Amino acid sequence: MMRALAILVAAVMVVGVASAAGAQPVPGATVEERAINGARAYLQKHNLKNVEQTILLSSLYNNSFPDFSQRWEQLTGIRIKIVPLGYTDIPAKIMAEAVAKTGEFDMFNDFPYTAPDAVGAGVIIPLDQYAERGKPDFSGVAPGLRYQQYYKGRLYTFVLDGDHLILVLRKDLVEHPQVKAEYKAKFGKEPGCPATMDEWEQMAAFFHTKPGQSRWGMTFDKGLYGAMGYRSINFSYRHFPAYLGSLYFDRDMNPRINTANGIRAIKQFASIVKYMPPDIQGWGTPQIYPFWASGQAFSVMSFPSIVGFGNSNEKSVIKDKQLSCLIPQVNVGGKLVRRSPQAAGTGYMVSRYSKHPELAYWFIQWLTGPTVGDEAIAHPKGFWDPFRESNLKNAAIRKRFGEQFLATTMENSKYATSLLMLEGNYEYFNVLDKNLADVMNGNVTAEEAAKRIEAGWNKVTNDIGRNNQIQAWRSGVESGIYIDKFE
Amino acid sequence: MAEAQATRTAAAPALGRSRGAVAAWLARGRVFRLIPFVMVEGLFLLLLAVPFALTVYISLLKWRANRPFEQAYFEGLGNYADVLADEEFWWALGRTFYFAGAAVLLELVIGFVLAMLMARAFRGRRIYITIFLVPMMVVPVVVGYNFSMIYLDSGPLNQVLLPLTSALGVEPRIRWLSHPIAAQWAIILADVWQWTSLTFLIFLSGFSALPPQLINAARVMGASRWQIFWRVQLPLLRPVIVIAVVIRSMEALKIFDQAVLLTFGGPGNSTQTVAFYLWRQVWQFNKFSFGAAASILLLLMFSVLIYAGIYLLVRQRATSLRERRA
Repeated sequence: MMRALAILVAAVMVVGVASAAGAQPVPGATVEERAINGARAYLQKHNLKNVEQTILLSSLYNNSFPDFSQRWEQLTGIRIKIVPLGYTDIPAKIMAEAVAKTGEFDMFNDFPYTAPDAVGAGVIIPLDQYAERGKPDFSGVAPGLRYQQYYKGRLYTFVLDGDHLILVLRKDLVEHPQVKAEYKAKFGKEPGCPATMDEWEQMAAFFHTKPGQSRWGMTFDKGLYGAMGYRSINFSYRHFPAYLGSLYFDRDMNPRINTANGIRAIKQFASIVKYMPPDIQGWGTPQIYPFWASGQAFSVMSFPSIVGFGNSNEKSVIKDKQLSCLIPQVNVGGKLVRRSPQAAGTGYMVSRYSKHPELAYWFIQWLTGPTVGDEAIAHPKGFWDPFRESNLKNAAIRKRFGEQFLATTMENSKYATSLLMLEGNYEYFNVLDKNLADVMNGNVTAEEAAKRIEAGWNKVTNDIGRNNQIQAWRSGVESGIYIDKFE
Repeated sequence: MAEAQATRTAAAPALGRSRGAVAAWLARGRVFRLIPFVMVEGLFLLLLAVPFALTVYISLLKWRANRPFEQAYFEGLGNYADVLADEEFWWALGRTFYFAGAAVLLELVIGFVLAMLMARAFRGRRIYITIFLVPMMVVPVVVGYNFSMIYLDSGPLNQVLLPLTSALGVEPRIRWLSHPIAAQWAIILADVWQWTSLTFLIFLSGFSALPPQLINAARVMGASRWQIFWRVQLPLLRPVIVIAVVIRSMEALKIFDQAVLLTFGGPGNSTQTVAFYLWRQVWQFNKFSFGAAASILLLLMFSVLIYAGIYLLVRQRATSLRERRA
């Protein structure tokens, strides 16, 4: 008996010492230093030379990411091989790796909401054990963005992008004296950032101008569309949370779309489309950005990088003519609510089948750290958008994005809400998208669409496993990624 | 040890005998006749039977790729029932037949007319033939990209159509990629542009193979141009038409590229074809076993059509042979 007890005590002590040693923080004054030291120590401990790691990278970053991967190579000797792919194809590639288990990739770059399926399939690993030693710094990141890095309470993704939506108006039109006078005469106030979605639609109606029409001493040869936003399949779901302003499900994953608020949101989402370009339901970023820069629209709700595009694109006619605004509020049960969905966002994950997952982790920690991360956001060819408070003080970021935009997007980040962090989220999104399209095309009423979405979502939940979904949903809501909490 | 030695000694003549039998069998040369059979059967097993059996097996499981395969469990025919009960599957299937039917019909008519015009000898004929064959050789991704530019609501197609749409009082900016019906026709027209080349090529070879003596004889006997075409050329071209219909129909039922590149199945699901539906279920929604069941069901449905096509071809050939003998 005594012998068994002694063995147990010894075992507990050994495990304790071992885990304490394992969790020993890596030396270094900054996040980046610790990442570099961590990588160097790993290489030394395993006597590794000429290590190459592979990242499946969103091709948007082809022109900016190499600057950082080359620096990492200079610092640690680790070469990063880039495999670029369109962002719409990356989730399928990650799931293919889950099945094939080739070990071809060490890191994946995709939206944070790709994580739930990847976690379920076991293709990415939790990073908590490394983070315990590397001590990454997530301070100054709003909850909706910060906790999007976690799934079911564990850290899986490092986010380096504030892709929460923003509303942009044509500053030159809003500040035009004749416009101001006419608008004030009609609505009793001067035009400016709209407080609510209803007000935005009212402004869209006011500014909507037919081709060839002359107003305010100007002739709009090509016309002026009152509004723009993403309304195509695979994009509508990214904007819809701004209109819903509340949680998609209750505690038990029962959809809350077939409610007065859900139906109101669907109607509002579809209603403003009449002031958008006729082809908007077929447009994605490659169409929306140049159209906005061509000056044919008064307002756009989009990813924040549209402001940079409008200012830096060679053919843009709206340079320095943009006014960034907070996402307008919606009326949820008599209360005004503002939600800015993190509509994409670039994140980094580590593959379970990596030969050296720890090295992959150190690179990710280094890249997304407050200092290097800020440099990435300031990179002129990058698509990383501001998201942490330190960005406000960074001179290069301020110069690149402009004070007004920067202050607005940082304020918007306080209302940033995650898209669904659930397994099978692309199926939930598809159910929503196709029904919203049917409403926009007048095929069904908002009420009918709400019923269909409810039924479709329940089907997905039951198919994946209600208990599993409830667990993930509650964990996400409690962490604060959706801002709203259960009533 | 001694026992083992004894066994080996006893086994030695038996081994020698069997080796001799094998040598004798090899010497007869029968093995060489079996080699092609073994290779064909082996290839069949490797390339067709094994993947097919795996697909059937997966279709009987409950497995989404967002769960490790080890967690999959036997579901029986549940996935098949789910596919058959899925309204979207039937819509996608119906849409595919609609796309394929419209596209193949247009391709046959345009290809036939072009081939008829090109069948005669004239200056620059080769250049025209080469030009007409180019679309078939263009990579589908490039076709998709080009057409997405052409179909922009402020793009070249709407500009070209402007006088017509204005005269008819129709909205001058047709929403080629965002209106449910216009988007369907946008996909059909892109397919027609690319694959009319193939029907043109098939018909051109058919026209070239027509025996001139029959046409000359008909002309000598006073037949008009229309009568020559209707009574002589068209019946002789029937086998070629059947081949064109079968080949293009089989291909058109797999329509995928344009639906993905031009509209990504939208707006809503109005351009989602059955191939795209399958892709989405498997690679976007990770429903591998559901996708496997849907693909088996499709295989069964399309097999009926393929069989009908092959039956038509065989019957046509038999009729031609009979006519030639007569």
